[in-house]
Amino acid sequence: MKNLHTRRDFLKKTSAAAIATMGMGAPLAGLLSSCENKIPASADSVILLFMAGGMAHTETFDPKRHTPFRKGMEAKEILSTFPSIPTKLDGIFFSEGLENIASVMDKGTLIRSYQAADLGHILHTRHQYHFHTCYEPPQSVVVPHLGSWIAKEKGALNPVIPPFINIGQRFTVGEGEELKAFHSAGFLGSEYGPFLIPDPTSGLEAVRPPVGMDTKRFESRNQLYKDLIAAGPMGEFGSDYQKESLRQSMEQAYMLLNSPEAKAFDLSQEPKENYDKYNTGKFGLGCLLARRLVDQGARYITVTTEYEPFMGWDTHDNGHTRLKDMKKLIDAPIAQLIKDLDQSGKLDRTIVIVASEFSRDMLTEGRPDLKVKDQVVVPDIVEDLKNYGMHRHFTDGCSILMFGGGIKRGHVFGKTADERPCKTIENPIKIDSIHQTIYHALGIPSDLNYEIEKRPFFTTPDGHGKVEFGLLA
Amino acid sequence: MALSQNAELLSDFWLSQFLGRLHPMLVHFPIALLVFAAFLELHTLKNFHQPLRKAIGLLVTFGVLSAVISAIFGLLLATNEATSGSTLDIHKFLGFGSAVFGIFLLFFSKNAIEKGDSRSIRTYRAFLFLTSIGVGFAGHFGASLTHGEDYLTEVLPGNSETSAPPSLTIDLATFSSEISPDQEIQLVTNVRSVFAHNCYKCHSGAKIEGELRLDEKEFVFAGGESGPILEPGNPEKSELIRRISLSKNHKDVMPEKGNLLSKDEIRLLTLWVEKGAPWPDGVEQQSVYRVAALAPRKPELPTPKSGLQNPIDLWVNQYFEENQLSWGEQIDERTFIRRAYLDIIGLLPSPEDLKALEGDSRPNKRSILIQSLLERKDDYTQHWLTFWNDALRNDYTGTGYITKGRYAITDWLYTSIRENKPYDQFVKELLNPDEKSKGFIEGIRWRGTVNASQRTEMQAAQNVGQVILGLNLKCASCHDSFISDWKLEESYAFANIFADTTLEVSRCEKPTGVMAKTEILWEELGEIDSLAPKAEKLRQLSEQLVQPANGRMYRTIVNRVWKQLMGRGIVEPVDEMDNEPWSQDLLDWLAVDFVENGYDLKRLVYQITTSRIYQTQVIKVASPDQLLGENFKFQGVIQRRITAEQFADAVGKIAAPLFDSVEVKFRPYELIPEARPNLSYTRASLVANNEFLKALGRPNREIVSTSRDSQASLLQALELSNGEKLNKALAKGGEKWAEAYSNPEEFTGQIYQNAFLRKPNSKELELAKKTFGAKAEPDEIQDFLWAIFLSPEFQLIY
Repeated sequence: MKNLHTRRDFLKKTSAAAIATMGMGAPLAGLLSSCENKIPASADSVILLFMAGGMAHTETFDPKRHTPFRKGMEAKEILSTFPSIPTKLDGIFFSEGLENIASVMDKGTLIRSYQAADLGHILHTRHQYHFHTCYEPPQSVVVPHLGSWIAKEKGALNPVIPPFINIGQRFTVGEGEELKAFHSAGFLGSEYGPFLIPDPTSGLEAVRPPVGMDTKRFESRNQLYKDLIAAGPMGEFGSDYQKESLRQSMEQAYMLLNSPEAKAFDLSQEPKENYDKYNTGKFGLGCLLARRLVDQGARYITVTTEYEPFMGWDTHDNGHTRLKDMKKLIDAPIAQLIKDLDQSGKLDRTIVIVASEFSRDMLTEGRPDLKVKDQVVVPDIVEDLKNYGMHRHFTDGCSILMFGGGIKRGHVFGKTADERPCKTIENPIKIDSIHQTIYHALGIPSDLNYEIEKRPFFTTPDGHGKVEFGLLA
Repeated sequence: MALSQNAELLSDFWLSQFLGRLHPMLVHFPIALLVFAAFLELHTLKNFHQPLRKAIGLLVTFGVLSAVISAIFGLLLATNEATSGSTLDIHKFLGFGSAVFGIFLLFFSKNAIEKGDSRSIRTYRAFLFLTSIGVGFAGHFGASLTHGEDYLTEVLPGNSETSAPPSLTIDLATFSSEISPDQEIQLVTNVRSVFAHNCYKCHSGAKIEGELRLDEKEFVFAGGESGPILEPGNPEKSELIRRISLSKNHKDVMPEKGNLLSKDEIRLLTLWVEKGAPWPDGVEQQSVYRVAALAPRKPELPTPKSGLQNPIDLWVNQYFEENQLSWGEQIDERTFIRRAYLDIIGLLPSPEDLKALEGDSRPNKRSILIQSLLERKDDYTQHWLTFWNDALRNDYTGTGYITKGRYAITDWLYTSIRENKPYDQFVKELLNPDEKSKGFIEGIRWRGTVNASQRTEMQAAQNVGQVILGLNLKCASCHDSFISDWKLEESYAFANIFADTTLEVSRCEKPTGVMAKTEILWEELGEIDSLAPKAEKLRQLSEQLVQPANGRMYRTIVNRVWKQLMGRGIVEPVDEMDNEPWSQDLLDWLAVDFVENGYDLKRLVYQITTSRIYQTQVIKVASPDQLLGENFKFQGVIQRRITAEQFADAVGKIAAPLFDSVEVKFRPYELIPEARPNLSYTRASLVANNEFLKALGRPNREIVSTSRDSQASLLQALELSNGEKLNKALAKGGEKWAEAYSNPEEFTGQIYQNAFLRKPNSKELELAKKTFGAKAEPDEIQDFLWAIFLSPEFQLIY
């Protein structure tokens, strides 16, 4: 515990966390953590742009031979349903519709060899759980989200901006309960849980005085609160931890709700010209909000194309047609985010990741050597446009983009086969390595762990997964 | 950067290594010379020009010179040896700082002697004192590096416990030159205990680093990848002893991560090797972990004392006497009624309730009140439902429900609590369930491939272990436990009882080919017919587990109820019943008394809440660490935070309901017609989890959860400060109260009575007047209610 505290000195001073972490059964700093090893951090913040629903690599960042639609074509001949376009990198092509991201690819690394896990019957929420926590569900303890580990270890970068923010996901959708299962700080304590902003356009509501209350009233309410406590009999008693944690966190919430930084949550403050560049819909505005928050010192943010079964990237039919819209949704704002961060210099200390829980293929469900139950009927002969597209869940080759925060610029990592199923053939990389690489860039040691119910619990299962130095500059 | 590159080049050069290693010797010069110079300087304060001046000048010159050389050699040393960390950084900073200051000091010294004016003398002296303080501190941090950070402080009074860990139950002084066979066993048992608590995490069947295992005799003597670790009789030549004795930052030190062994532990291991590392066969039978007795035990009650009728108080009194603690003051009626209401039915009492109690002249009026609360069946049930929902992982929404991979047990649970079902029967119905209670052992069935250690049968074994038996089987579900004696096979044998077919044992997710046996964890409790169908196995299990001989199960439940009412278990954590209780007698007696009196949970609550100790002034702790520490001393009821549900219910009562009908997931009157609610709001325990309840601590009931985080956090404070739910209820409350009371003073008095059961004091009244002016507006009332509800006096159970 001693070691843990020195590491979080900043947080200790600025929030109630220091006392809040030590509740009954709260985690003890793992005895196995080598707290002395300091890793120089190359990044301060992380933005994960999550393509929830399964983004086909062959239709986005790893296109193969274009096989245009024609009635009566064989399903097995379909590789990419879009033509390829050049990117800023020589000899590297994207799928049509991603021209903007293609133009900033010199600023980051393109991973073409991410292999998602084999979790049997493929389900989005289970694979998302695995992507965000690095653990396969279910577990015998509640496992913390990647953002919670980072919030816990690094603390808030700016004390009034919550260290883990989740933008763009509602939990009222189908499988909402399954989504909740991993949007949690688990045993690290609710202090490190996600600050949820389901709709970026109403982000401000989460951080301003309650609806209908102006600043003046908000301030006097807070003053009354303090005065009444001081006047009451509890005010004079010595401090105990519950009272103290309540006092501190109320103070901190007041600071946030009344702070100038809270304006970062207000998208209407953004110049119209720039707002329009991002405004492709909820996801685009989420990117804008993420940029504004990082400018003010956010630590970890997920912006997701909202997951809802059979919507968004979850194309069980009409894959080709629907992907046109999905690309329109993401292309401009992602590129603009990279450009803006690069221009302000923030990109050097901010990792931006574009990823999905798995990829898609025309025919293979799972992976070529481990097929699982097909969930979509794909006819051998494609007569209808609605059957044209990547409709099955594919785990053996997915693309991830990483930018900034110490990630190599203009680099390509890994490779998939050019013929179906376009599986990983070079430098396979798995989720534990992705997590460890992010932690490493933030200066979090790979063997960090806490003792939970007397057992060591690591950021990745048993602390496995090597930092992939091939991604780092 | 150039500096470090040069340093890298240098590091391979022998001379650089040699000079670097002179650093620890050289550093003594600047400390001695400069501190002595500063000391002499004090003697010249009145008269600068003294014969001493020349001597001081020489001391300063050589002192600074040695400081500069030490700093350079120190740099060489740091680059040669793989040491890092904050202590080193501070040491470096201070060392270099002192050397730089020293150079200025030389200059100012010369200047002062030449000029002799008071200003230059002052500057010189300032630098002299600063530099000598600097080298002193640099020296201290240097010593921390080589000797360990607690080298100095560990011998201070009050810090002695760090050198005598509780695991060591051996007096090394009694081991003379010849040791007896008994002493051999004692010695190796202690050695194994040191291994278990410090080394098994990386060197046992669960995890084997460096090819070394320390969990069995043959492995210990076989050594690891770099050869044997011991030379019996020769500690100096034993790798084990060498590595555990190294300093914290040495690259070979063991344990590599975490805390070093204590001096006593090192001495123990050294002595053991010196005595030839004796390891008699069969010694493994003796556990190196604390294991609580399974059988019940009924200690004889202490002799009755006047004023202490309740047996609990007799035990507490005995404990107080043994530990030289004294009884706290008895609480007044107001504190009592609030505590009893919140603890027994989860609701706030009304001012009328308090008035009635105060007006009651019967001597046993508090017991009568407690009895009446226990008889409010639905209020009682709707309070304890929250506790059991958490513990049994029962929820209205959550993963698994959409695919029929999970079953709610709310109907059964509500009825069982309401009927005050005897606890043995309660457990029997959970373990050998019908359709309504099967949800607990059925677990959550996820779609897709699930870890072997999380198959539903294993979930059942883990959950029954944790909740019913206060036992952690999670570790042993994957491999032999390294936190207890439980073996993988034993977990599987227990899990197999819940299986339709025979389970194959998987070790760390790899099938072993071994088929699991079918056994209860303790053979004393009887056998399970391994060939019987599942239903029969479950019937046998349920009968065997609830028998009175299973003292552990009843200790576990009385300890849980004790914690709910007293704030801290007799054993903590409440799921680790092998830990030491603060009073074994009280725990054992309560458990047996519970069994002898019909497994009656309400009676247990009555027994505890009618005790004098329950009605004693609350204990406040500055840090939750104090509650879990090994030196915890019981003194009385611990102050607690009200739960999410208690808070929501209190707001519902005083302001306005927080939840609308859509959120209500369980309506007791649909099951039991007479359970029709008599309240103007729905109890929070019947409502689906939502952001408000979650922020205030209701867990996602995906896994069992037996204690809640009672502390505030930023996310929680945000929810309370601007969350829509609370805000809406408060706005409605503002309107309601504005209609009822237009006179601010009258209104303030009513609010204080309802929220705190007292009148406002003059300062509070003054503040209220200032807020409201002549007429209380709804907005103002809303904000006033908010301030009241968020105040510690409302939020805590005291």
